[in-house]
Amino acid sequence: MRKTNNIILETAIKVLLFFIVLYSVYIFTAGHYYPGGGFIGGLMTAGAIVLLLITYDIKTVEELLPVNYRILTAIGLLFAISTSAGSLLFDVPFLTHAFGDVQLPILGELSLHTATLFDLGVYFVVVGVTMTIIQTIGEDE
Amino acid sequence: MAFQILLNVVLAFLWMFIKVSYDPISFIKGYIFGLVIIFVLRRSFGSRFYLFRLWSFIKLIFIFIKELILSNIAIVKVVLKPKLDMRPAIFAMDTELTRDWQITLLSSLITLTPGTLVIDVSEDNRTLFIHAMNIGEVEDEINSIKNSFEKAILEVSS
Repeated sequence: MRKTNNIILETAIKVLLFFIVLYSVYIFTAGHYYPGGGFIGGLMTAGAIVLLLITYDIKTVEELLPVNYRILTAIGLLFAISTSAGSLLFDVPFLTHAFGDVQLPILGELSLHTATLFDLGVYFVVVGVTMTIIQTIGEDE
Repeated sequence: MAFQILLNVVLAFLWMFIKVSYDPISFIKGYIFGLVIIFVLRRSFGSRFYLFRLWSFIKLIFIFIKELILSNIAIVKVVLKPKLDMRPAIFAMDTELTRDWQITLLSSLITLTPGTLVIDVSEDNRTLFIHAMNIGEVEDEINSIKNSFEKAILEVSS
């Protein structure tokens, strides 16, 4: 079995990957006011990693991204649980979110919301679960 | 090229710091002055002055648009002919380009112009295998590709 020369695909992926990941970050951050959010952003990030898997093989991608996706899923669940349970410390019901405007020296006014952290947990869970499914199917001989 | 652009941006920021005015207009002024200085001292760099390369890139885009229109007209002629007398063929073309992005760009340009299509690149990245829909003479086809796209890409990267 001769390995084919994938030079065109590899070069195109090297450029396109950054655009896809940046767009998925935009989709994740736009979730509060525009369509988007943690779920679709996580799926898009997982899609970028799947493109890498198509271009290279599984071992190369593990060297490029040394992430254990099961632990990533656990971290995402921990984020979601802790932001929900954090409201109990302030004598308000479970899943109550706080928000406020913060003045930063350079960035100006930022409106911060703890729902973003909950969404980050969703993002990590989606990336972790998708990549775990794809890797366990892909490593089957 | 990247180093020259970075130097130009640094010079523009230096101009802003000297003038103590941090608005876009002073940045643009500093950028223009830096451009003039880099143009005067362009012999001290290893590569060409970067506006020339930018100009070569714009020329490449216009060459691509011209080729796209011409080859589309040729394909329409072939499609609308009542008789099917086209001669499809696969030929090999040796390329002088060495770097990955140059080969990718050349292959994409060849594929995007109708009538020709890159199907494979050889192991050592020296030969492109191209499928042509209606081929007259192989040498003419190779020469037309070499004279238009390859020369323009070499000009951009020199």
